[in-house]
Amino acid sequence: MRKRTGNAVIATVTAVALCSGAWLLTSGTASHPPPQPSSAQAAPTRPGAARPDPGTAPLPPSPPDRVRIPAIGVDAPLMGLGLTRQGSLDVPPAGRKNLAGWYEAGTTPGERGTAIVAGHVDNKEGPAVFYELGALRKGRTIEIERRDGSVAVFTVHANEVYDAKDFPDEKVYGAAPRPELRVITCGGKYSERTGYQGNVVVFAHLTAVR
Amino acid sequence: MRNARLLSGTALAVAAAGALAAPASASASATPAFAAPAPAPVGGLEIQPATVMPGSAVTVHTTACGSGGTATGDASAVGAGTFTLAPGARPEDVTGRFEVPPSAQPGTYEIVAKCSGSGGAAVRNKQVAGDLVVTITSTAAAAEQPRPHPRGHVKTGVGGALGPDPVQTAAGVAALAVAAAGGTWLLHRRARGDRI
Repeated sequence: MRKRTGNAVIATVTAVALCSGAWLLTSGTASHPPPQPSSAQAAPTRPGAARPDPGTAPLPPSPPDRVRIPAIGVDAPLMGLGLTRQGSLDVPPAGRKNLAGWYEAGTTPGERGTAIVAGHVDNKEGPAVFYELGALRKGRTIEIERRDGSVAVFTVHANEVYDAKDFPDEKVYGAAPRPELRVITCGGKYSERTGYQGNVVVFAHLTAVR
Repeated sequence: MRNARLLSGTALAVAAAGALAAPASASASATPAFAAPAPAPVGGLEIQPATVMPGSAVTVHTTACGSGGTATGDASAVGAGTFTLAPGARPEDVTGRFEVPPSAQPGTYEIVAKCSGSGGAAVRNKQVAGDLVVTITSTAAAAEQPRPHPRGHVKTGVGGALGPDPVQTAAGVAALAVAAAGGTWLLHRRARGDRI
């Protein structure tokens, strides 16, 4: 009787190990490209069609310390970023996967204008801080903790992916009449030779202050 | 490289040209750095952003301290005290950060950095300076002044998330090994005539 129970246990363990082993191997060796925004998340094509929500009144300037995006599980410190010699936005060190940055010579998040936050989608080891950014949908919130103690809450109004060869500088970085935020990471097609060929850009505007 | 040439001190002309070029490069956003008090800094202290509002953070860089050097920064002119400059992204570059106090008054302030560390005897105690302009929030001029914005795409990924996951693959192999052992054991039992 005891032997029979023992056999049944071993048979069960074997079956479970076989199934989970097969699943682990298939998903572990498969390629997992980061999510990309669908066309439904794009900004309306006719900008004049809907009057943009004026949003919440701008805050005084204060540097940001942390970014949180509850919908995709992001909670990361922010470092100041400058520009590269080519004039593109610099990026945080790739080794630290849970670190994002903001363009510190520009607008601070919450202030009137366009504030810019950027972070890695992945590094050599695997997914990084903004891996899930492409999955962020319109209406979700992004919270920025500021050094003055306030939390600026932005609501996503578009999430788009652009090719590096045709990057819309003015749309992404240009001035805005209300407090806006852009969150940028790598995206688009991936090639072994050149890496990711574009960027996922989330567009959001200030809707609350806590 | 310019610094190396300046340090060798071979040609006066080179030194003069360098001294003129240094403040120009330190003032990317039209700060009147030429108004810096003499003697003009050699190598220069690059201040980013060169124009700030009270309460914001400022990053400074210099390549004047040589490879492996460090420096002590002095921003007490603007009320921010001293700070440390440590080697940055490039080996010859030291970088540091300080915060302009919220109570700072508008004006132009001189920020100084003094080399120390292992940069070599030639650069020890060498001093570089740059100008920081503080403006107040409410001035319309400051708001109208277009701040340079970045251009082009951002390099924020290398594709590391795309390959196989080593941990998951190893776990899968381990689980399959357990399954193989269990299966073998059961088959043995059966061959011996035990009922399963």
